[in-house]
Amino acid sequence: MTTVLIVVISAVFGISALLTVWRIIVGPSILDRAVASDVLLTLLICVLGAEMAINHHTRTLPVLLIVAAVGVFGSISIARFVARRDGAEQ
Amino acid sequence: MTEVLHIVSLALILAGALLCLTAAIGLLRFRDVPTRLHAATKPQVLGLLLIVIALGIELQSWAAVAFLVPVMLIQFATAPLSAHMVGRQAYRNGTIDRQELYADELDAAKQTPPAAGG
Repeated sequence: MTTVLIVVISAVFGISALLTVWRIIVGPSILDRAVASDVLLTLLICVLGAEMAINHHTRTLPVLLIVAAVGVFGSISIARFVARRDGAEQ
Repeated sequence: MTEVLHIVSLALILAGALLCLTAAIGLLRFRDVPTRLHAATKPQVLGLLLIVIALGIELQSWAAVAFLVPVMLIQFATAPLSAHMVGRQAYRNGTIDRQELYADELDAAKQTPPAAGG
């Protein structure tokens, strides 16, 4: 039962990471890539937490905290400094 | 009892993972930046909340909860912040589908020059 659940969880995380990476590759605008990389970072936090819960250890808890605290600056700085028109679909 | 709690936490993790999958499918299928943003903010709050609850159930220690509560609070505080910045910039940038808008409340702000803070 638990093994099946762990396999299903890993598959779901893997598929969603692949789809998100596909959106980062395809774009089309830099803001789409910013949103997708934000999702990928959230996915990383979720995977770290799930791995800790499944393997029953607390070693990556500080990583969880730091990534959650610092991850927001990525998309904020992209949104702040992106050009007013980046010629995505004009 | 611990076996039941283990199953419960795995089910919560599965729900969080499914929310992540939902966000990824939404990112892939939606058309423009604000709709993709709408899909992207679901795992950032609810999915992470489910996984953090699962982690708390699994670890059962106050020291771990002292780490997990700030993680959730930071995520609650910063997810709307980045979503707001990206959405506002998408509006200015023209990467939104204007035909799909029912109301454009920022239309007046668009007339002011950029240095005026609009």
